[in-house]
Amino acid sequence: MEADITVDARYKSCPGPLLALAQAVRGAKPGKVILLLATDPGAPKDIEVWASHVGHKLLGVERGEEVYRIYVEVSG
Amino acid sequence: MIREQPKTAKSGETPRISIIVASDRVDKLFPAVTLASTAAMMNWEAELFFTTWGLLALRRGHEASEVSADYKIHEEGLRRAFTSGSMPGWREVLEEGKKTGRLRVYACSTTMGLFNLNLGDLVEIVDDVVGAAYFLGRAKESEVNLFVS
Repeated sequence: MEADITVDARYKSCPGPLLALAQAVRGAKPGKVILLLATDPGAPKDIEVWASHVGHKLLGVERGEEVYRIYVEVSG
Repeated sequence: MIREQPKTAKSGETPRISIIVASDRVDKLFPAVTLASTAAMMNWEAELFFTTWGLLALRRGHEASEVSADYKIHEEGLRRAFTSGSMPGWREVLEEGKKTGRLRVYACSTTMGLFNLNLGDLVEIVDDVVGAAYFLGRAKESEVNLFVS
């Protein structure tokens, strides 16, 4: 999956990945796809619930050996 | 993927969370501000009411960094997590929550008197000084109410 912006939140514990993603979303235009790299095991579910509350679109989560690749599309 | 979305109390209304913070130890401050700031980032309305020892953490020029006496054995590990950046500091988490415009921070009026504090003695993130009745009015409207001490 292609991303416009990559946010590296590896080795950051909750709420680090969400803080980093929320900061990136604030500075991004609608329609942009953000790739969040995270190792926190809670991150995929956290980001899914967060996105559903605020209206951004979770495009998918890829799980690597150590790192989750979480794709979020910024809504308008 | 999550099969079932968590339910909010009243569909269509903005959820609210109110947390009383009555400790200035980082192991108490961190989860309290994490929940409030995360809620605000999820478009909830969030309130933090700092009372008794909790208010001491908001004094200007004072960085609350002590761990509760019961958990001193874990202090070094916690400090390492903060200094390495794997865990954000509680004040940073609070400031991120404030940026949403949906997190309010209240200082307990009785505690202000107890420690002879004025609003100017506290960090700028404090919105107002209020009493028990005001906070109860806000807490009554909240689906989630927590007390952290």
